[in-house]
Amino acid sequence: MARLPLEGIRVADFSWFGAGPIGAQTLATFGAEVVRVESETKLDSLRVVQPFALNEDGSYKTGYNVSGYFNNFNAGKLSIQLNLNTEKGQEIGMRIIEKSDIFMTNFTPRVIDKWNLHYDQLKAVNPRIIAAYAPMQGITGPHRDFLGFGAVLTPVTGISYLSGFPHRPPMGVGTNYPDYVINPGQTVTAILAALRHRNKTGEGQMIELPQLESVVNVLGSAVVDYLANGNIQTRNGNRHPAAAPHGAFRCADDPESVESPDRWVVIACRTDDQWKALCEALGKPEAAADQRFATLADRKANEDALDELVSSMTADRKAEEVMETLQAKGVPAGVVQNAQDMLDRDPHMKARQYYQYLDHPETGRAAYDGAPARLSATPGFHRSSAPTLGEHTMDVCERVVGLTTDEIADLLAEGVLV
Amino acid sequence: MAERALDGVRVVEFTDETGAYCGRLLADLGAEVIKVEPPGGGFARHIPPYFHDQQGPDTSLAFWVQNMSKKSVVLDLDSPDGQVAAKKLALGADIVLDDRPVGYMAERGLGFDALHAEKPSLVYTSVTGFGQTGPHAGYAFSDIVGQAMSGVMTLAGEPQDPPNKVVGTQADVSASIHAAQGTLLALLHAEATGEGQHVDVSAQEAMSMSQETAMQTWDLQKRNRVRTGERGMIPVALPAVGVYPTTDGHVSLFVLAPGGAEFPALVDWMREKGMASDLDEEPYASLVSTLNMATITQYMMNPDSAQEVIPQLAHINEVVKAFIATMTAVEAYEEGQGRNLLVGIVSTPETLATNSQLRARDWYVNVDFDYLQTSMEFPGPPYRLSETPAVITRPPRLGEHTDEVLASLS
Repeated sequence: MARLPLEGIRVADFSWFGAGPIGAQTLATFGAEVVRVESETKLDSLRVVQPFALNEDGSYKTGYNVSGYFNNFNAGKLSIQLNLNTEKGQEIGMRIIEKSDIFMTNFTPRVIDKWNLHYDQLKAVNPRIIAAYAPMQGITGPHRDFLGFGAVLTPVTGISYLSGFPHRPPMGVGTNYPDYVINPGQTVTAILAALRHRNKTGEGQMIELPQLESVVNVLGSAVVDYLANGNIQTRNGNRHPAAAPHGAFRCADDPESVESPDRWVVIACRTDDQWKALCEALGKPEAAADQRFATLADRKANEDALDELVSSMTADRKAEEVMETLQAKGVPAGVVQNAQDMLDRDPHMKARQYYQYLDHPETGRAAYDGAPARLSATPGFHRSSAPTLGEHTMDVCERVVGLTTDEIADLLAEGVLV
Repeated sequence: MAERALDGVRVVEFTDETGAYCGRLLADLGAEVIKVEPPGGGFARHIPPYFHDQQGPDTSLAFWVQNMSKKSVVLDLDSPDGQVAAKKLALGADIVLDDRPVGYMAERGLGFDALHAEKPSLVYTSVTGFGQTGPHAGYAFSDIVGQAMSGVMTLAGEPQDPPNKVVGTQADVSASIHAAQGTLLALLHAEATGEGQHVDVSAQEAMSMSQETAMQTWDLQKRNRVRTGERGMIPVALPAVGVYPTTDGHVSLFVLAPGGAEFPALVDWMREKGMASDLDEEPYASLVSTLNMATITQYMMNPDSAQEVIPQLAHINEVVKAFIATMTAVEAYEEGQGRNLLVGIVSTPETLATNSQLRARDWYVNVDFDYLQTSMEFPGPPYRLSETPAVITRPPRLGEHTDEVLASLS
């Protein structure tokens, strides 16, 4: 098997929740050895948040190792327990950093202060380190100590104000959206760029990814429209300025869709030809001749009536059937899928085997999101499931930090390795 | 001038929407990114809004934000001359980036196999709706299709409404962010070994991680997460949890969640402003003094105490709502956070543009638009690299660099 791009690279993963650990997991997927530093004294709450694996009687399994939320972001890592509130814990943490190529954290600036994890402090022991900080608002600035997590970040970044229907309040998008792709992905891009620079020059550096800045960068035209034109865009539901119909349309219920029988299909007509094709494919060719909908401008001007008409075409059909019928004519369309579809029913997801199923000592076999991109010569994959809390404390202490068994026993007794 | 992380890297991209932001990220980091566009430009050059309502291929703001810092070459890939020039250009690159329908590039002699055979070190990244293989590989794509098919849309919105998409083109952006990671991994490998490869990114897969816990909930418990709207997963209205109107907008409160100051700190603030109403009187005073998620969970587990406490919680919530409604969103946010209360502003484009944190950090960058005889502010880069900072310059006019780039080929 080909050598993976990050083999030989060690990552000191001092992060928690979503945005930090997912990025470190990507690095592990492509060959890096990732040492996840955690502690029962400052537990990553995702370890104790749903969804938990089930016992045979249907009750939830308990403990620190049975959350699918945590496990899906930490596959392939080593877990060491280290209490960074102790001086010795900080010393050992710094020795891990000294032996690492990349340091990652999304702790708040206050915690960085308290645990002595500033870039200058890291650089003093390891000048080649690439140190990536991903605080909510930045390491500097008047809001640097503002509190938050993904649910706070969603409104603060503008996502809530700009997503959803105009007649609803800005309630967000149902998830802590920025945590899962945007912020971890941007962090990894910056780290890989810094790694290239280090390969060329031998020079490490500091990366700062304020989550607020990273997300405002991907909002599309909204902020620029204000800066350039003074326009304040607002929620426009599922509509698009250069396509119509463009939205989600109700289809026939599907009783096999567990707990969510309502089914929807999204459709995006970008050209007049696509609109005509849609009318024919869905059995209303006469609608294509309706002057209210002849051109994009017409359809935009009469969009409420247009949406009603399209809804009448989809209402009695299966969502999958509408998608396949429209796709056969080259019209962009897709089922509003749920997780059951993603894992069990979407033939395409199955064929591409995106999800990787891994054995885990406490949860049993479970699905994990696969690598973010498929590299033909050096494909990334999870080499192991998520570690149990402190599963590799001994291994990391011996092999990476260079401690003896006696030293480790003392540190355990002193409450450092907890 | 500072060194750039991707100095010396040349990217030739054949993108319109799904892969464009990937090219932009590489360009901001210092790569020379040459965008090959069809005559007239692609779909993205014709999406409103436009700069000062001046409709045209060089003024679409949606195009701009995905195409900063690049060069533009116009080639007709349906003509033999265009194909020859495109191939020459691509073979001179370290990275080829495309988001064309599967098969489009290969049909024109520009696919991975053909180019890789002539240049083994080439990194070739394809960013499409559904990836290069599988039964849906040929499906027509648009961002909303990715948002739906990835399992993300079903989680957003009120249960009685259609599912909501997330602002902008998040399936495209997710795919591009994944493509940037995959491309740089492949570049590191190519620079170490001389071996190039094909990087295949599916927008459906890329966005699916944003299902949060829905995938694992089905996998472990065979339950589907559904959209729960404004109320979230909480069955009753709780004080200081959710969206609250201000004089000029909204804030989101999460005061009962762990992590910030507890509810009595909010009542202290209300009292200082003379807005505590009857919360210092019974039955509210004793409830307020212990109010957090844990105590509420205890009340709710006992049907008798739940029946008693639900209307009291509703009243307390009304008092909170009346207090928040006296302030601007920025006041509620900055003063609330100053008191360690979990308050998030519902930022608008305007409050983002004036956000005192972003301004204090000089995040917005001034970009010179010589062809419009102006300069304007743009959102800054997602990250700051201390030694090799990202630099943002204006997007190219359609075909602006055609002559210059083609001359360098011959």
